[in-house]
Amino acid sequence: MKYIERIIVQQLNKNFKIGFKRNQSALARLRDIFNRRFLKRNLHVLKDVSFNVFSGEILGIVGKNGCGKSTLLRILSGIYKDYEGNVKMNGKAIPIIGLGTGMQRRLTMGENIFVVGSLFGMSFREIKKKFNLIVSFSGLENYVDTKLFQFSSGMLQRLAFSIAVHSNPDILLLDEVFEVGDLDFRKKSAEKIKELAKKGGSVILVSHELWMIEKYCKRAIWLDKGKINKIGKTNEVIKEYKKCG
Amino acid sequence: MGRVFKKTKGFFDLSLSLAKAGFKLKNEGTWLGILWYLLAPMMIFLLLLGIFTDRLGQNIPNYPLYLLLGILMFNFFQKITSESIIAIKGNFGLIKSLNFPRESLVGAIILKSLFSHFFEIIILLVFLLAFKIPIKMMIFYPGILFFLVLFLFGFALILSSLTVYFIDLNNIWVFVSRLIWFATPIFYSIGGQTRLYYLNLINPMYYFITISRDIIIYSKVPELWMIMSALFFTLLSLLLGLFIFNKLKIKFAEYI
Repeated sequence: MKYIERIIVQQLNKNFKIGFKRNQSALARLRDIFNRRFLKRNLHVLKDVSFNVFSGEILGIVGKNGCGKSTLLRILSGIYKDYEGNVKMNGKAIPIIGLGTGMQRRLTMGENIFVVGSLFGMSFREIKKKFNLIVSFSGLENYVDTKLFQFSSGMLQRLAFSIAVHSNPDILLLDEVFEVGDLDFRKKSAEKIKELAKKGGSVILVSHELWMIEKYCKRAIWLDKGKINKIGKTNEVIKEYKKCG
Repeated sequence: MGRVFKKTKGFFDLSLSLAKAGFKLKNEGTWLGILWYLLAPMMIFLLLLGIFTDRLGQNIPNYPLYLLLGILMFNFFQKITSESIIAIKGNFGLIKSLNFPRESLVGAIILKSLFSHFFEIIILLVFLLAFKIPIKMMIFYPGILFFLVLFLFGFALILSSLTVYFIDLNNIWVFVSRLIWFATPIFYSIGGQTRLYYLNLINPMYYFITISRDIIIYSKVPELWMIMSALFFTLLSLLLGLFIFNKLKIKFAEYI
């Protein structure tokens, strides 16, 4: 297996301008051209974040709500394209952020596999080939023709994860994915993640379930108010994170 | 070159997949939904035909066909613009959680509308046969439609991306598109009204509809300057659309 740097992040900074949404209607915008008094506040969400992730590695990220975890993942997955600093991703990155990524609640599970699969960059043929694998991994064989609005959040997350890991990702970006799943599925997913890493992929795991990070990640990052507070061996990072409450 | 091809293919694959999903969503999986698409333009057609045949349509040869073709083409325009204007704004969940070619959201709407337009064309063919107009001229329609689609794709890109910044643009578009409907010679002909004529020179739909009528209904060669103008608007809209969309799409995920 070739040992490469899958993710390189150098001095990443991200600002959000809060308050610009005061009034976005067309007329108000025209008025604002003549009347330039904007109520803007700058929110510095990520400050000088630098780290690398190697192939075969599962990196954990911990931190409180609003510390910039999701923003970081959105930048890594290419959703936020406006930032300062360097981000380099070697390979296909698939994010799972939020519940039921790209799913249509009025469509059946089978139809959703095709929609979400193509959103993850799979071709129609590829999806068809892997359809049964996706269904059986999710453990939802009996619900292929059920519409998603009748699914529980755990079931949705199973489906999303199952499609994601079967779309040939080199890098998986998981944002609090296992918070809603049951123990069985967590174990199954964790095994799948390990398998992916073994094959030379990389995984970033954001979670509040510290035991999962401790169990599956060798290295972890503690993100605090947009800064890397500590990066290193998981047990050391977690220990200090716990100490600070 | 290979990368561009792969990107374009990805765009088409995703557009098609989203279009299929959108179609199923709208009809809850049945084909009966097609009837509803056709019903709306047909009702408008019958109503206007009843009202105007003896008045505005008196001096227009084959007025029912003149009217029908105008309505069907404008309906195509209206459906694509009104749906794509909220294509980005309405899909915020998708845009905030995944990175995919954003243009596909607009592409899906175009494909979906093309699909239902196909059935409208069948109705047009039936009418042509009923009026004993040679349908062989219809072979030119796909060509016209090709440029119309390119024009609409560019235009839809502009609308969809601007609505992210001007959030009430979709409300404004409701009445602007109605103004365009009345200003375009659909149920009347321009005749000698110079003011209306000059107004329509900046109306791209005027060119597309007039060219189609000339060829299909009246079997005559459209005027060259009209074809050139249609091509000009197509190119302008496509280039402007791609430029504006590409410029603005960087911030989509943050602004919605």
